[in-house]
Amino acid sequence: MENKLLSIKNLKVNVEENEILKGLNLEISKGEVHIIMGPNGSGKSTLAYTLMGHPKYEIVDGTIEFDGELINDLKADERAKRGIFLSFQYPEEIPGVTVEDFLRTAKASTTGKIQGIMAFKKLLKEKMELLEMKEEYASRYLNLGFSGGEKKKNEILQMSILEPKLAILDETDSGLDVDAIRIVAEGVKRIKDESKSILVITHYNKLLDFLEPDYIHILLNGKIVKTGGMELAKEIDEEGYENIKLRFAKV
Amino acid sequence: MITWKRIKLENFTFPKIYDYKKEFIRLDGEVPVGLRLDKIYDTIDRTKINWLNSNEIYGLGKEFLSFVNEFYNSGISLYLNSNIKLNNPIVVEFNMDKENPTVIDKNIIIAEPNSEATILFHYCTDEEVEAFHNGFTEIHAKENSSLTIIKIQRMNDLSQNFDTNIAYVKGEGKVNWITVELGSQISGSNYTTFLDEVASESKLSSIYLGDGNRKMDLSYSMIHKGPRSISNIESRGALMDNSRKVFRGNLDFRRGSRLAKGSEEEYVLLLDPSVKSDSIPALLCEEDDVQGEHAASAGQINESQLFYLMSRGLREREAKKLIIEGAFRPVIDRIPIKELKEIIDLEVERRLINE
Repeated sequence: MENKLLSIKNLKVNVEENEILKGLNLEISKGEVHIIMGPNGSGKSTLAYTLMGHPKYEIVDGTIEFDGELINDLKADERAKRGIFLSFQYPEEIPGVTVEDFLRTAKASTTGKIQGIMAFKKLLKEKMELLEMKEEYASRYLNLGFSGGEKKKNEILQMSILEPKLAILDETDSGLDVDAIRIVAEGVKRIKDESKSILVITHYNKLLDFLEPDYIHILLNGKIVKTGGMELAKEIDEEGYENIKLRFAKV
Repeated sequence: MITWKRIKLENFTFPKIYDYKKEFIRLDGEVPVGLRLDKIYDTIDRTKINWLNSNEIYGLGKEFLSFVNEFYNSGISLYLNSNIKLNNPIVVEFNMDKENPTVIDKNIIIAEPNSEATILFHYCTDEEVEAFHNGFTEIHAKENSSLTIIKIQRMNDLSQNFDTNIAYVKGEGKVNWITVELGSQISGSNYTTFLDEVASESKLSSIYLGDGNRKMDLSYSMIHKGPRSISNIESRGALMDNSRKVFRGNLDFRRGSRLAKGSEEEYVLLLDPSVKSDSIPALLCEEDDVQGEHAASAGQINESQLFYLMSRGLREREAKKLIIEGAFRPVIDRIPIKELKEIIDLEVERRLINE
């Protein structure tokens, strides 16, 4: 049990008085890759935001434990410091703040150690090269004028710099072309190889072939209704969510 | 006694004025060829504010301007010959302290045709002194000249700051104003640009920060007289604690300003519910064929941006600071002196963190 990283029990979450998550259970151990699939509106993004601590997502019941600590009431920055990272589906644009300055500040915040300018420059350059990003991105304003694909790559860059224990990828594969998916997937795989845990939220399975997940979960109407391996992804790929919806309609 | 309702200034009287004995012109090396730069009291007084007795009221008003005219203790007279382009900025710095607590500066800047220069004024205080500044700067930008005037005010919270700036711009001349307002207890500043002739141009970029109990009255006017003249006012600010601010932006299209274009935009972040912010944009037209537009917005920090930054480990205050600094960045980056940029960054940071 010491290997357990994230443990979610009976999680119920409201967004503006509407119950979105309705008793969700999920356990992720260190080094595991989990995929959450589900149709639109099933609560996938709500789960991602709730795990990261967005103030608009209100936990009305249940517990989230991370590394043995109850984190229900921790703010986003505290969760980041403990090693949770969310790759946003729609990353925010921050004018006037360069990628490099921001990431150096973020790295200093999460590690509690001041980052030397030159050493950090070097680290950033290395990580950018791995993601096939041009050097000029470091001095551009954060996500401002970036294309959809560039924003997603930038999320992966942030992840590789911050080196979280748990990376949550919210629809990171959507809007990416084949090449970009490959680059992003390789970036995620490097994190995986360092035995970090990964939770991928998606409604396609583009990333799946690259990642060799340990578990696939189907999220439906605020609950995980089915857990399995790659065969589950294939089933959904072929049949869609309708069969599963029908099967669980009675529940 | 002066009463200034907009910023609740009542029964205001001018303090006793002392000499300003420190050197205020910062010049590395020789005076460039084609530039005449003197202290104002060393020149024959060609700087009479000649419209003081007219009916029009400009700047912060007659009380403040007559006072400068009578009691000025510092300031520059700068004359730039035709076709002279200065590469380095001229820096005028007033650092008020216990021995030199008052600055009444009168500045006159004349740029002859095709000349180009940047002049930076820096008003700051050295110690916890109750400093007082009341200044007047008059600019004449002749045909096809280009002047950038930068004013940085970062006096301490016990001090008072009043500043009037007026520019007259001739055909195809250009005046760029950059104003950075970070300090003092009370600050009234006024920038008025007369776009006198054809295709004259002016751009004003302003950033300000209100913290503690600061009261600010910021007033920017672009007066279009010349055809095809162009103006642009862009102001970004942040208010916190119990600070209050009145912003007035005037685009005034006078008769003769056919095909002129003016735009103004004010954007202010309200960080605490206890702040007070008024924005009064005005558009005055005597000509039909002109384009004027204004936009003003006041709001809190975008919650999604804040969450995004916090999700990367930044504390709420740090994240807010980053967003505000980001909003100020385009203006700060236009300041041509690296050390001064850093001083401003630190000042903004100090005031935001010291909340």
